[in-house]
Order: sequence, then C-alpha cells, then structure tokens
Amino acid sequence: MILWILLALMTAIVAAALLYPLSRRSEALAPDNAGEIEVYRDQMKELDRDRAGGLISAEEAEYARAEIGRRLLAAAGKQGAGADGISKTSALRKLAIGMVTVVPPAIGLCLYITLGSPGLPDQPLEARLENPGNDMNLLVAKAERHLAQNPNDGSGWDILAPIYFRTARLGDAELAYRNAIRLIGPNGARLSGLGETLVVANDGIVTEDARSAFEEAVRLEPGNVRARFYVGVAQEQGGKAAEAKATFEEIAKASPPDAPWMGLINEHIAKNGGTVAAPSLGGPSADDVAAAQDMSQGDRQEMIRGMVDSLASKLEADPNNIEGWLRLVRSYMVLGDRDKAQAALKTGLEHFPAEGNEGRQLIALAQEIGLSAAGAANPGATPKMGVTQ
Amino acid sequence: MIVEIGHFALVLALATAIIVSILPVVGVHRRDAGMMAVATTGSLVMFGLVALSFAALTWAYVVSDFSVKNVWENSHSLMPLIYKYSGVWGNHEGSMMLWLLILVFFSALVAIFGRNIPETLKANVLAVQAWISLAFLLFILLTSNPFIRLDPAPAEGQDLNPILQDFGLAIHPPLLYLGYVGFSVCFSFAVAALMEGRIDAAWARWVRPWTLAAWTFLTAGIAMGSYWAYYELGWGGWWFWDPVENASFMPWLAGTALLHSALVMEKREALKIWTVLLAIMTFSLSMLGTFLVRSGVLTSVHAFATDPSRGIFILCILAIFIGGAFMLFAWRAPTLKAGGLFAPISREGSLVLNNLILTVSTATVLTGTLYPLVLETLTGEKISVGAPFFNMTFGLLMLPLLIAVPFGPMLAWKRGDLYGAMQRLWVFAGLALLAGLLLWYVQNGGPILAIFGLAIGCWGMLGAVADLWYRGNFGKLPVMTSLRRLKGLPRSAWGTAIAHFGLGVTVIGIVAASAFNTEHVVEMKQGQTTDAGGYALTFDGFREAVGPNYTEERGHFTVRSGGAVVADVWSSKRLYTARRMPTTEAGILTFGLSQLYVSLGDPMDGGGIVVRIWWKPLILCIWGGCLIMMVGGFVSLSDRRLRVGAPSRKAKPVKAVMEPAE
Repeated sequence: MILWILLALMTAIVAAALLYPLSRRSEALAPDNAGEIEVYRDQMKELDRDRAGGLISAEEAEYARAEIGRRLLAAAGKQGAGADGISKTSALRKLAIGMVTVVPPAIGLCLYITLGSPGLPDQPLEARLENPGNDMNLLVAKAERHLAQNPNDGSGWDILAPIYFRTARLGDAELAYRNAIRLIGPNGARLSGLGETLVVANDGIVTEDARSAFEEAVRLEPGNVRARFYVGVAQEQGGKAAEAKATFEEIAKASPPDAPWMGLINEHIAKNGGTVAAPSLGGPSADDVAAAQDMSQGDRQEMIRGMVDSLASKLEADPNNIEGWLRLVRSYMVLGDRDKAQAALKTGLEHFPAEGNEGRQLIALAQEIGLSAAGAANPGATPKMGVTQ
Repeated sequence: MIVEIGHFALVLALATAIIVSILPVVGVHRRDAGMMAVATTGSLVMFGLVALSFAALTWAYVVSDFSVKNVWENSHSLMPLIYKYSGVWGNHEGSMMLWLLILVFFSALVAIFGRNIPETLKANVLAVQAWISLAFLLFILLTSNPFIRLDPAPAEGQDLNPILQDFGLAIHPPLLYLGYVGFSVCFSFAVAALMEGRIDAAWARWVRPWTLAAWTFLTAGIAMGSYWAYYELGWGGWWFWDPVENASFMPWLAGTALLHSALVMEKREALKIWTVLLAIMTFSLSMLGTFLVRSGVLTSVHAFATDPSRGIFILCILAIFIGGAFMLFAWRAPTLKAGGLFAPISREGSLVLNNLILTVSTATVLTGTLYPLVLETLTGEKISVGAPFFNMTFGLLMLPLLIAVPFGPMLAWKRGDLYGAMQRLWVFAGLALLAGLLLWYVQNGGPILAIFGLAIGCWGMLGAVADLWYRGNFGKLPVMTSLRRLKGLPRSAWGTAIAHFGLGVTVIGIVAASAFNTEHVVEMKQGQTTDAGGYALTFDGFREAVGPNYTEERGHFTVRSGGAVVADVWSSKRLYTARRMPTTEAGILTFGLSQLYVSLGDPMDGGGIVVRIWWKPLILCIWGGCLIMMVGGFVSLSDRRLRVGAPSRKAKPVKAVMEPAE
C-alpha cells in the first residue's frame, strides 16, 4: 500500500512540475535575433578585454571590430518575430494541459502494471541470510560464505558436498568432496561420494579416478555396499564379467536377503552370467530398490533420470547421432527401464538400419545387454536373446 | 520497494519523454512560450527520474538483491564493493541505463546552462534530445529491462565476467559514453537548426563547447579502453583494429573533424552546412557503434548478451534517427544561408584539408569494419579485415594530415601566408628531423619508416611549441614580455597547442612501440633466466593466493640489469570460482616511458610454463599523448570563446582567388 501511495505521489509531482510552465500566462518571446545580437555584444566586450590585455594589436582589434559590427548590423536588420503572449486559456493550452495531466498516470500505470512486480519486496542478501528460514539455497549460500572465509574447515565441506551432489552442482560437489578428504581425511562415505559424483559427471561410466576412490573406500570400510557395488560396475563395464560376478555375489552373500538393494545386485549377477542364488519371488524391481533406499539414493536416481530424459529429447530433435542412441539404450538399462530401452533401440534402428555399420553397433549392444533386436528392423537376422531374470 | 520505485521512475521518465517530445515542438510552431518552457522543466524532470531509477538499480547491486534478475546475472555477493558499483554497467541492460542517464544528464545541462540560447532553438534542441531519450527508454523497458524480478530469489549471483572485474570498468564506459552521448547534443542542435531553417552566431557559439567536451571525453574513453585491453587481455597489444574498437574510433575521427569545422563556424561563420552534416554524421556513427556492439552482430567482451530482438530494435532506432536526420538535411539544408568567403591558403583552408582527410579516413575505417559483415550476410563468406588493411589505408591518409598539423595554427584567418608559415617552421622541421634521428640512434636500429614516423611525431610536438613561440613573439621581445604574452593568450589557443602536442606524443608512442617492440616467447622452469629487452628475467616460481572471489597462481620474476636486481614483477593466472573462468593478469614493469610486459601462458609437461615477455619502448607515450590531448580539450573548454577570427592586415586582399565556403 505504501508503495502505491509513493508511486501516486511521484506521478503527481511529475505532472505538477510539467504543468507549472503551462499554468502561467506566457510572456511575449524575445525576437528571434535577440540571442544572435547578444552573442555579438559579448564578442565586442571580449575584444575590448583582449585589446586591454595586449593580446591583439590595434589593427587586428580594428579589423575584428569591423567584422563583428558588420555581422551585428546584418543580424539587427533581420525582421525578428517575437512570440505573441498567449493566454493560459487558449484551446491549444487546454489540450496541452490535458495531455500533461493524462499521460503520466495513464502510461505510468499501464506500463508499470504490465512490467513491474509491485508485490515483491526488496530482498538484500544480508537480511535474507540473517533469516534464511527453510530456504536450502540460502543455507548453502551461508555455508559457502563461511567456507570462503575459512577454506580449511573440512567438516563444512563435508556437509556441503552431498548437498551439492543432490542439487546437480557436480563440479562443486567434486571440489567439496576433495577438500573434505584433503582436510579431515578420507573415509568410506566421502570416497564413495566422490566416486559417485565422478560417475554421474561422466554419464554413468566408472572412470579410473572414480574406481580408485571406490577401491580405497572399500579398503577403509569393507562393509560399504555402495562402494563395492560400483567396483563391481567398473569391472562389468571393463568387460571382466567373471570378476564382476564374483564381486556382486560377495555383496549378495554379505547382505541380509531382504536388504533393499538385493534386487539390483541380483540383476547384475544375472547380467554377468551368474545364477541368482535365492531368487525371491516377486523380487523388487529396480525402481522399488531405488525407492526403498535412503532418500539421497532416490534423489540420485531422479537426477540420472533427468539427464537421460534430456538426452532422449535431444535425440528426438536430432536423431542423427549414433553415439547418443547407444548411450540412451545403455542408460535406460542402467536405470532398469527395460521397456524404454527396448523402445529406444527400436527408434534408433529406424534411423540407423541394421544393415548399416551403425545399425550393427546397436544390435551388438542389444545382444550385449540382453535386449531383443528382433522385429526392429531385420527380423530373423539376429537370434532372440533370452531375458535372464 | 526501492527497486520497484526505480522501475516506476523509469516508466514515468518515458511518459515525460513523450510530453517533452511533442509539446515544445508545437509550442515553437505556435510561438507559445509556455509550451516551449515545458522542454526545460521536462528535461530536468526526466533527469531526476532516470537518476532515481539508476540509483535504485545501483542500490540493488550494492546490497546484492538477487531478486532482481539483472543483479543475479551479473553480480556476486563476495565481489569487492567497487565492482558492485561498476558492475551496474558491466552488462547489457545496465550499460543502456548508463547511456540513458548520460543522455538525460546532457539534456539537463542544456536546460540549465542554455540561458543564452534563443528560446525556440532551445525548445527544439531539447525536444530532439527527448526523441532520442524516448527511443532508448522504449528500448530499455521493452527489450532490456534491468528491473525484471525473480521470485523466489536465488541465493547467490552468477558473478560479473571476470575480465570486467577491473578498475577499468569503473572508468572506461562512463568516459566513453560521455563522449558518445555528448555528440547527441551536437546532433540535436543540428536537427533543430534544420527544423528552424536558420543558423546564427548563437548556434555556433553553443555547438563548439559541446563538441569539445564530447571529443575530450571520447579521447579519454578510447585511450582508457586501449590501455585496459593492453594490460588485462594479456596479448601485449594496445590496438587491434577490432570492429568494436573501430566503432568507438569512427565517432572520434568524425568528431575531430567536427571540432575543427565548428571552429571555422564559430570564428568565421563559414562552413555552416558542412558542420551541420558532420554533427549528424558523428552522432550517427556513435549510434552505429552502439548498434554494432549491443546487437550481438560482433562477438567480443562488449557483447554481453545477444538477443536478435534487441538488434532489430536498435536497427529501427538507427534507421529512424539517421535516415530521418539525413532526409531532413537534404530537404532543409538548401534553406540555410552559406557563410563567409576565404582563400584556399588560410586557417579556414587548412581546416578544410583537415576535415577532408579526417572524413575520408573515417570512411576507410567504416568500410574496413562493415565490409566483412556485409559480405558475410550476403554470401556467408567469412573474411577478416585486419591491421594490414588499416595500416595501408588509414596510415597513409594520416601521414599528410600529421605533416600539415603544425601549419594550421600558423596561418591567418581568411587569407594566409604559407611561405611565411614555412619560413617560421623550417627551423622546427629541422629540429624535429634531428630529434627523430636521435631517438632512432638511441634505440639502435629500426627501419627508415620508423625514423620518419618518429620525426613526424616530433614535428607535431615542436610545431605546437613553435605556435606558442611565435604567439609569444619570443626572440623579438624581451623574454619577460613574451612570457606575459603567453600567459595572456586565449585558453583556446593554449588548448590547441596542448592538444596538437599530445597528438605528436601519441604518434611517437605508436611508432616506437610498433617498430622497436620485441617479443620473447619462452618456456621457463623455476630458476631459469631469460634475456628480454635488455633485461634478464629470472623465474622464481609460483605461489598460491586467494582473492575475494578467485584463486590465483602468481608467478614471480626477478628483473636484473647488468647483474644488479632492478625490480621484481608478479604475473598470475586467476580462476574465478563462481564462473569457473580463468584469466591471466599480466605483470607490467614501467621503466621511464617504456614497459616490460610479462604474461603467463600454458603450463608445459615437466613443470615448465610458457612465458611471453614484451619490451615496449616508449609505449606510455600513446596514452600519455591522449591524456595531454584531453588536457588540451579541457583548457580550451574553459575559454570564454567569444572571439571572432580577425584576418591579418598584412596580407593583401586577394579577391580573385576567394572561394565560397560551401
């Protein structure tokens, strides 16, 4: 409300200031040549000053005086039309007054209501930081300020790192994990967090860096299922199916049979050519596993899913990208979304026929990860792969 | 609430601009003094509103109010306070606000100090200013509104472009805009004169100080920008003939021509129509520069954000104002009364030569800047027009001008005596050549052209001294009398001499820094020593450092001359954390007027790093000369300038060769 009163006041002041010259009966204008004559008079005076100061010689002064005099005469000779005094009640004046009264409030209000945000208060950062409330971003900003001043506060970095990871600020997350590890030493959680950040940053590939982080985590905390799982994934991606199978089987052995991650583990065991020891009837799907795990895991899946979705929409716009299709199919399988993987494979094969080089790559991938390439483009060309689950 | 008040003030300024655009023009037409007076009040009101709006935006930057989108995009709470202030115009929206603020500031100055201007002229001038303000207000509000809010507000900003986080940002844009926009006043005067169909002494009396002020600020702005690029970008160069640089250089060239033709107008009432045309051209080039830089046609540090709708908007503004002004000129110029007569060899004649060369060189630069753009639009072919083109064309054009500079002030008005001027100048010509040769000898090498260039620089400097020498009548009168005469000289004469002297200094800097510059690119490891520019540099290693919003690796170098340590210098690579953007900070050592420039390159395998070392002899002369020119401008500006150019009695009237001025 105060805002509106102030805005109205501003409008009124502006209109009043503009109305002031219009409200008076205007005096008759000086004739057109008045300014010119004035300048020549000034020039004459300046000439006298220069002459008195000895700047110019008598002859020069004389010449200049003659020159100015000629111009002065010429100017004075011109018919100077003055302005008529116009009463403040002339029709034109009324129109002008009307315009000045209407335009500022009308334009001001219309444009401001369209463009402005009258409801939003000012939000200086200092004041917001003092009362951050539940705003996660503000809390993070506060922690960041603290860390900018105390960059050696390891536990600060340790708290921030998983938050960065959840909000998809992967570069910051990596830096925070590394700082925490450097300052307060490595432990299983920090190392596997760092590893996971690197994996997500590399589209699900367990890089060399990430793998050594996970291995170190397992060394420090043999019971860290997450780290062990990724070590297995690394082996799996490296084509070492036997080692991967052993790793996953070990995890399965060490976990209680009703552990929420068992479904995922069993899937990987199966994928690497093993048989699941005790297939629990109606075992949880990968989605269930994700949901059942702790909250951060859920967020993580959500995030990966978001990245995969964006890849999918990119491919929709520009399907001529075999690398993209290969990655999309593989990603859906990693997420456990077999149907989507199958659909992606099919669309991919539409753009890259199975006879072609790229098409063959897609089919090879399908066979590798256990998808059916049949019916997509070239039925009968490839044997159906059984789905082992 | 402060932000919203600022937003509303901007909208109200638009409403005021509409009123000031219309009422005074109608008032002039109907000879109603009351309606004309709305121009004065309205211009002051507009300035008040825009200043309030600008202050609100600045406040939002200073307190880091990230609910303002513009602040969020271009600021960071940890930035040093000075960059929070300068960051206001370190982005597209804010820089347009600064442009507008300066525009209405100049309008307000005309409104306050224009008491001597005839009422009708003043009303028309302020109305034209209001048209320009209206166009830019619409542009800001509709396509580049800095007051757009975000809800919910982000917790931290995205930081200012690290290259702009420098003291230079606090100085360069305001100076440059004072120059650019200052020419808008000349433009408005020209358009108003065309509307009235007459130009009188009052017009001339008023246009020249504005031109002078704008030119002075533009000189300073360009010099500052050049020095900033030199020390910040780490390439060791100070001028690249980059289209963005040309965009500011073209108004300067045209403005320099305008400055000199306005002089003829003021003193002799000649060259009127030409001056009007130049005034229109100069501001048109300023607007063209704004268009090139702001529309995203060119990519550079200055193109903060590219948005085609903005480009089209600016293009429309450009078409309306430039096209409209030229059409008005074509229509009304014949009604203006042509001015006085003068002989080809006279002060006026030399100023016409100056104008001729300056406009041709402006056209050259314009061609070199626009041709690649036009070619790319039409054929898609990308070419780049670089230094070789400009050096060949622009350089050659400047040569005769620089030689002619000292003659101009020596010639009398109306009819001059070239032989007499030459007689007076030959001693100084000899001295200049000698000084040039001496400088070459000191630098020990260099092509003949460089000697010639240095001689021309010295020629310019000594020519200015000669001007003062003969005005003081040294050698003929006792020294004390001469000094008194010098003291009494009009300030505009002093301004001319100082500015021409500065031009000579700049030429010397350019020639020396281009011809005797040495560059060493070496890979250095800790403890290694390299010879460059007569000094031995030892790389002592790196040290980590943390700034308010960046981390840096600082390389330390010890500089020795003849075995003795003379200085040490830091050169660093910074990483700005918010944008994860690296920058290099060059280490610059000044020896007299020369500089040693050390810049770090990429690290190599095995612990070494690429180091570029330049020895830049006399390079400070380039900017020092510009500063001297600027001082000359201000000195001249402080003159009362109420003189006519009195022709000399001695020369016989040579009516036969008199030519009409236009």
